[in-house]
Amino acid sequence: MMTVYLKGGGLLREYLQPDVDEYTRRVEVAEGRTLRQILEAIGIRPVHVAMAFVGNRLVNLAYVPSDGETITLRPPVQGG
Amino acid sequence: MLKGFGGRQLRINLSTGEIRTSPLDPTFARKWLGGRGFVAKILYDEVPRNADPFGPENRLVVTPGVFSGNFGPSGSKCSFGAVSPLSNGEGDSTVGGHFGPELKFAGYDLIVFQGISPKPVYLFIDDDRVELRDASAYWGQGTMETEAALKRDLGEDFEIAAVGPAAENRVVFACIGHDYGRQAGRCGVGAVMGGKRLKAIAVRGTRSTPLHDLPTLKELTLRIIKRTAQHPNMAPWQKYGTAMFVGWSNEHGVYPTHNFQTTYFDRYAGIDGGPLVERILVTNKACFGCWMNCGKYSKVQIEGKDTVYVEGPEYETGSLCGGNCGFDQIEQVAYVNWLCDTVGIDTMTGGNIIAFAMECYEKGLITREQLEGHELRWGNLEDVEHFIRMVVERRGIGEYFARGYQAAAAYIGGGAERYTCQVKGQGMSGYDGRGAPAMLLAYMTADIGAHHNRAWTITMDEDLGKDVIRGKAKVVVHLQHIRPLFDTISSCRLFWGEIDVTDQEHIDAIKLMTGWDDFTLEEAMRLSERIWNLNRAHFLERNGGPGRKFDYPNARFYEEAVPSGPAKGARLTLADLDVMLDEYYAARGWGLDGNPSREVLEDLGLEDVATNLERAGLLGQLSAPLPPVRGEKYKPKAF
Amino acid sequence: MRIQVTAEACSGCRLCRQVCVVEKFGEVNPRKARLRIEARFPVPGRYVPHVCDQCGDCAEACPTEAIVQRADGVYEVQPELCTACGVCIDVCPEGVMVKGPDDIPFKCDFCWRCTEVCNTGALVRVE
Repeated sequence: MMTVYLKGGGLLREYLQPDVDEYTRRVEVAEGRTLRQILEAIGIRPVHVAMAFVGNRLVNLAYVPSDGETITLRPPVQGG
Repeated sequence: MLKGFGGRQLRINLSTGEIRTSPLDPTFARKWLGGRGFVAKILYDEVPRNADPFGPENRLVVTPGVFSGNFGPSGSKCSFGAVSPLSNGEGDSTVGGHFGPELKFAGYDLIVFQGISPKPVYLFIDDDRVELRDASAYWGQGTMETEAALKRDLGEDFEIAAVGPAAENRVVFACIGHDYGRQAGRCGVGAVMGGKRLKAIAVRGTRSTPLHDLPTLKELTLRIIKRTAQHPNMAPWQKYGTAMFVGWSNEHGVYPTHNFQTTYFDRYAGIDGGPLVERILVTNKACFGCWMNCGKYSKVQIEGKDTVYVEGPEYETGSLCGGNCGFDQIEQVAYVNWLCDTVGIDTMTGGNIIAFAMECYEKGLITREQLEGHELRWGNLEDVEHFIRMVVERRGIGEYFARGYQAAAAYIGGGAERYTCQVKGQGMSGYDGRGAPAMLLAYMTADIGAHHNRAWTITMDEDLGKDVIRGKAKVVVHLQHIRPLFDTISSCRLFWGEIDVTDQEHIDAIKLMTGWDDFTLEEAMRLSERIWNLNRAHFLERNGGPGRKFDYPNARFYEEAVPSGPAKGARLTLADLDVMLDEYYAARGWGLDGNPSREVLEDLGLEDVATNLERAGLLGQLSAPLPPVRGEKYKPKAF
Repeated sequence: MRIQVTAEACSGCRLCRQVCVVEKFGEVNPRKARLRIEARFPVPGRYVPHVCDQCGDCAEACPTEAIVQRADGVYEVQPELCTACGVCIDVCPEGVMVKGPDDIPFKCDFCWRCTEVCNTGALVRVE
C-alpha cells in the first residue's frame, strides 16, 4: 500500500472531502493503481476531473502515481 | 456623489467634431451598472431601428464598468458596444488589459460616439483634456503597430485601443485591439469603429477614483488574493492559460476540426498548452489587477517569415484557427493569431470563416481562379495568409467574405450555407454542439449570435448525458444571466469560474466601492435578465419576428452525425433543436415563437418595451404560467 | 533587507502599484506608486519592475539634507526640511520617487505590501 494526495478546488473539493488541508485529501491505495481507479474507489466520477497535474506536468487518468505524490485535479472547465 | 465610478461621460459627434462632457447620472449608474448594461440601454434608446450599422446613427459605446481600476478582486475590463453588422442586433464585446482602468483614472465611465468622421481621427484623452486628433499618420497600420506608434508619440503611459486595416475597410468581423494582443473581438465592434473613421482611443488618467470604503475593500481583496493564491487551479492557469483546454476539448470530442466536419483532431498534440509553453512562450501577461496571469505572450519564428510576437494563442484561437483550419504546429497557429490580431479581425469568426472557405475550396465550390491563382488547403499557412489579405482588402471573392457569412454563401452558391458554422451571422466558439446539446442551444439563443461567453455547458452536458435533450434549457437561461453579469460589472468571470471567488464576494466588493448598502445579488441577476430581454427586443425590432426563426444554426448541426473521434455518431435532429427551443422559451417566459411576453417584460420593469413590441406585432404569448424565477442553477448528478 | 526583483517572472499585473497607493495614500490611483513597471513591448515582450533599493542617491543629491537614512537602512524624506526642489526625483536611478501633495516627494519605505501581493515571484522580500 502507498499514500497519495489528491488536491482539488471548486466542485471537486466537495467530492474529495479534504482532510489534510483546505484542498487536499489523503488516500491509501494499492501500488500500480491508475488515477482513474483511485478516483472511482473514492466515488469520484471521471467526468468531474477534467485534467490532472503532477507538479506542473499534465497527466491523464491513466497515470499511475508513486508513493507520496500529490496530484492536483482540475474540475471541469468553466469555459474560457 | 457617485462612488466607485469616474463620474463623467463623454458624448462625441464624429460628423461635427463636437465633444460634450457631462456628469454621469447616479440613478442611471445604479439602474444599469455599466459595461453591458450601459451598452444595452443606450443602443436601445438611441439607435433608430432602420439605422445602418455602418451609418452615422449607429453608436459606438465604450464603458469601463464599476470594477475597473478599483482594487476589488481584479477589475480590468472595458466593454465596447454597437449595433452589430454581423447580427443587425445589439452587440457588445469586452476586453481586458489596462484600458478600462485608465479610463476610470481619467474620470470617465462612458463614451458614446455617433456620426462618421470626414477624416481619420483618434480620440485623445488626458484627464480633462479631450480632443479629436488627426489620425492620417496611423491610418492603414496594424493594431499593434498603431499602439506602439501612439505610445511613442504621446507617452508610454497612455493606454491605447486601436483598429487595424480590416476595420478601416469595414470587414464585418473586425475587432478592436489593445495591450499588444488583446481584443474586443466579437460582434464587429471594430468594424463600426473603423467605419466611423475612428482609428484609436488614447487615454491617460491621473485621478483617484472615489470609493465608499476602501479600507474594508482592501481587506476583502487581500484576503481573497491570499486564499486563492494556493487554489489548486491557480498553478495550471498561470502556467498554461486557456491553451491547456485544446487537449481536453479533443478528448471530450467537442474540438472543431476542419470547419466542424468532425470533433477530434488527431494531431492536436502539437498545438496544446505544452507546446506553447515549451516552444514559443516569452512571458506571462496579466490584465490590470489580476493575479491569475493567464495571458501568454509568444515569439514566433517560422522559416521564410518575419519573427512576430503575439498574445496567445488562447483556446478559442487554438481551436478555431488550429484544428479547425488543419494546423498542427503551435507556431503556425500563433502566426495566424498574429496576422488576425494585426489586421484586426476576430480570430473566432475569422478562424471560422476561413475554415468555411477552406471547406468550400475542398468541395470545389471555390476555384483557384477565384483565389487569384492560389489554393486554400487545410493547414497551409501561405494559402491562409493570402486569403486573409484578400478579405481585408476586399479583393475579388474577399469582398463577399468581408460582408459576412450570408453574403459569402450566397455568392458561392451550391448550398454553401450548410457549411457556415454560425448563428445570426456570428461564428461559433471552439466547441461543437453535437456532442453537447445544451451548448448548441447556448449558441442558438445567445443574444449577440453564437458565443460561449454567455452560456458554457459542456461538462453539464456530459454529466447529465451527452444525448439528453430535455431538462437543460433552464440551466442555459441561468448561465445567460450569471456569466454576462461579469461583463456588466467589468470583472473577469474566471475568478468566479476557476478559483472560487463567490458571487456574493463580487457583490460585497461593489457595495464597498459604491456605498450601495442595499445592493444584492438578486438585483444584479435581475439586471442581467433585464439586459437579456432588452437585447432580444432590440433584435426583434430591427430584424422583425418571430424570434424563433433566427435561433437555428446551419444544417450541419442537425443533419450530420459526427464522423469520428470520441463523439463519433453524435447526431441531433431538427426535432431535438425544436424541443430545446420550446423548453428554453418557456423557461424564459417567452412565447413559443421566441418573442418575449408582456408578463416577463413587465416583471422586469420593461413596460415600455412591451408596448413597443406590441405595436410592432412582436409580443409573444405565454403558453404556460410565467416562472417566478427564470433560470435554474446546474445541480451535478449525485455520485 | 531588500525587494528582490526577478523580472522574468513579472506579468505586468500592476497589483504592486495598486497596493502601494492603497496602503500609503488610502487611494485608488496607481500613478502615485513608489515602484514602477516598465513594459518593453511589442519586442522583446518583457516587464521590468523598478523598485527602490535604498541606494541613497536621493539623500546625496538633496541640497537641504532632507533625506535621512534610518537605522534599518531605509532612506526617508523629512517633509519639514524639504523645499520641494525635485532634484531627488530627477536623480533617482530607478525613477521611483513620486511627487506628492505640495510637490513633497514620497519614496518607498519597505512596507512590503507589494511583495505580499505579488503572485508570480517577481517581487520577493529578502531580509
